[in-house]
Amino acid sequence: MAVKRKIIKDRVPTPERPVEERVKSFVEVNLGYTFELAVKEAERCLQCPYDYAPCIKGCPVHINIPGFISKLVEYRDNPDKAVKEALNVIWACNSLPATTGRVCPQEDQCEMNCVMGKVGDKINIGKLERFVADYAREHGIDEELLFEMIPRIEKKGQSVAIIGAGPAGLTAAGELAKLGYDVTIYEALHEAGGVLMYGIPEFRLPKDIVEKEIDKLRKLGVRILTDHVVGRTVTIEELLQEYDAVFIGSGAGTPRLINAPGINLNGIYTANEFLTRVNLMKAYKFPEYDTPVYVGEKVIVIGAGNTAMDAARSARRFGAEVTIAYRRGEEDVSAREEEVAHAKEEGIKFEYFINPVEFIGDENGKVVAVKFEKMKALDERDARGKRKIVGTGEYVTLEADTVIIAIGKHPNRLIINTPGLNVERGRIVVDENLMTSIPGVFAGGDAIRGEATVILAMGDGRRAAKAIHEYLTKKREGQNA
Amino acid sequence: MPYKILDKKEIAMNEVWYRIHAPHVAKKVQPGQFVIVRAFPTGERIPLTPIKWDREEGWIELVTFVRGKTTMRMANELKPGDEILNVAGPLGNPAPMKKFGKILAIGLITGMVEVFPIARAWQELGNDVTTLHVTPNPMVILKEDFEEAVSRHIVEGYDLQPGWGMQEIAQELVKRAVAKVKELLESEDWDLVFTVGPAGGQKAIFNVVREYGIPMEADLHPIMVDATGMCGACRVTIGGEVKFACIDGPGFDAYKVDWDELIHRTGFYAPMERLALETYLKQLQAQGGEQ
Repeated sequence: MAVKRKIIKDRVPTPERPVEERVKSFVEVNLGYTFELAVKEAERCLQCPYDYAPCIKGCPVHINIPGFISKLVEYRDNPDKAVKEALNVIWACNSLPATTGRVCPQEDQCEMNCVMGKVGDKINIGKLERFVADYAREHGIDEELLFEMIPRIEKKGQSVAIIGAGPAGLTAAGELAKLGYDVTIYEALHEAGGVLMYGIPEFRLPKDIVEKEIDKLRKLGVRILTDHVVGRTVTIEELLQEYDAVFIGSGAGTPRLINAPGINLNGIYTANEFLTRVNLMKAYKFPEYDTPVYVGEKVIVIGAGNTAMDAARSARRFGAEVTIAYRRGEEDVSAREEEVAHAKEEGIKFEYFINPVEFIGDENGKVVAVKFEKMKALDERDARGKRKIVGTGEYVTLEADTVIIAIGKHPNRLIINTPGLNVERGRIVVDENLMTSIPGVFAGGDAIRGEATVILAMGDGRRAAKAIHEYLTKKREGQNA
Repeated sequence: MPYKILDKKEIAMNEVWYRIHAPHVAKKVQPGQFVIVRAFPTGERIPLTPIKWDREEGWIELVTFVRGKTTMRMANELKPGDEILNVAGPLGNPAPMKKFGKILAIGLITGMVEVFPIARAWQELGNDVTTLHVTPNPMVILKEDFEEAVSRHIVEGYDLQPGWGMQEIAQELVKRAVAKVKELLESEDWDLVFTVGPAGGQKAIFNVVREYGIPMEADLHPIMVDATGMCGACRVTIGGEVKFACIDGPGFDAYKVDWDELIHRTGFYAPMERLALETYLKQLQAQGGEQ
């Protein structure tokens, strides 16, 4: 398609729910594009060639981004056709686009080096991806594409067990099912989805969307066993007797705590506990739902990553005054730009260069304040390029009746205690094919990375599926020979 | 994944017994381990302890103390043949299975349920096990089972007085437990004391046991949400270190437990639990009014 394009500098904005409405509810903040708006944004894309396009290079799963965007323009007179073609391009690399379109840090990945950025706004790739997925789901186009795909699957007669129904496991399961393997996912919680269900809030990623993405996997024949805690209900050793290969996608579920006096006072949550209560158990609908969550009037969230923003914005929706306390400066905030912007719009305060040293409680063991040491940044930088920080010896105490600790997570402990599984600093060690020290057992996502993003976990899920396919193909051929 | 209720009955006042088809748990569960049950689509996840199981037939038996909304709703609405939405597990570490010698295993009210599989296994291993159940008289459970399973089973029951609330019942419980434990420790030699029950009662018993210097293990019951090591709701301080009762416990050395912290943490949600129960009772009343 050698169409000469004119430069349109400004991004087509996506409508958002007004601030005063959203701080009172958990409904999704960003409303996404309509077809007309999506086409308008798609037209801005310069259509860089495949082997050059910086967006494809920046995407951890290498979606042909100009390819799917061009379909929206090419078939602009037939929205259903346009979306079906675009979805087909995305699905070649990513089976959960409704999710990634919402939660990927696009500004650090596909959109980072967008050529349009040199003359105007970068293309809004995330929102276009989300549009394709949403429109396809709402119009049954994803099912249509799925049902066209299913009869073409050739059964391989081999089976794979997947541990964890989070982004890595779901992706691996989808890819392996498409390749014709019998796939069973073992999930500890009562719902599949992992962090997409328990961690990321409804207002950022509606749960019915996640459920529908998971339904597609079930239609592909993937079996999901909830309530099965690998390490307790069944061991990896036992899985290997029943299945031809195993993939560990058990994530980073163990919360990091702050080693400071008073950490176990009432009113102090890990972000995991707070978000699990709110998202998975739907505590924002208490007492209609049985699980409560206590949110006071003054909430301090410690940390400045995506999880911290999710916790802060959730607490805000309970009517609390919320402060994010970060030991570094604004430049080092690691959350997605959109989340930080939304948090600020919603009235969340940011306090920089303060590090908690003590949690102060009342006579009932309930937190009432947090004592912080003031920090300062040095010119010297650490291995991650962040300025080093040191304590100043000066302290400040902030009142708080609720504290949420969002300073990161470690991989789940139950799995890493498997005999024979090589683990370093809590992370499962894998080779270049994502195989662990146990033959036939592969791993990916936060279980090997510590704590990363949904899309990196999904990228691992895809790579592992490919490696498992190669491993099982050899095994099959070995048996036939 | 739904799990069928094979049988259900009220075995004492506010004590309901269920036999549930849950083969994945039945296959693996060891004494000391527990499960998480989620009974309704809007329900919470509650930890319960299997008392008996059949690995071949794939069932487990649970007893709930009807105390809050979930246990009351289960008692009111579920019947044999119905399904429970989720039974996850087994969870937690098995109790230490070795020869201790002479063991006093104490269960306060429904805590006795959790003592049963552990005490039975200890006795089978060659320990001399005495079990002590301290409870209001209408809540005596599993008496015959214990009498069959261990050397000696003692029920320290007491009658409920008109006008008593939960607080008075608990005060009497602690008073009775402390007196009986003192009597037993004074008159006989013991190698191990084990307790399950409300944290306040366990602490009171520990204060007695400590005077005699006898080793003591306690199964702790802090609030849990996921119970797989993910949320930290159940964190307890053991010997100055933060532990998660769900994956590091539930059994801990009673001498190392920060009991006051545990008592505070366990009670934190009581007002909201009461609100949930009252809302449910009002719904029941409204339904009753319509009929």
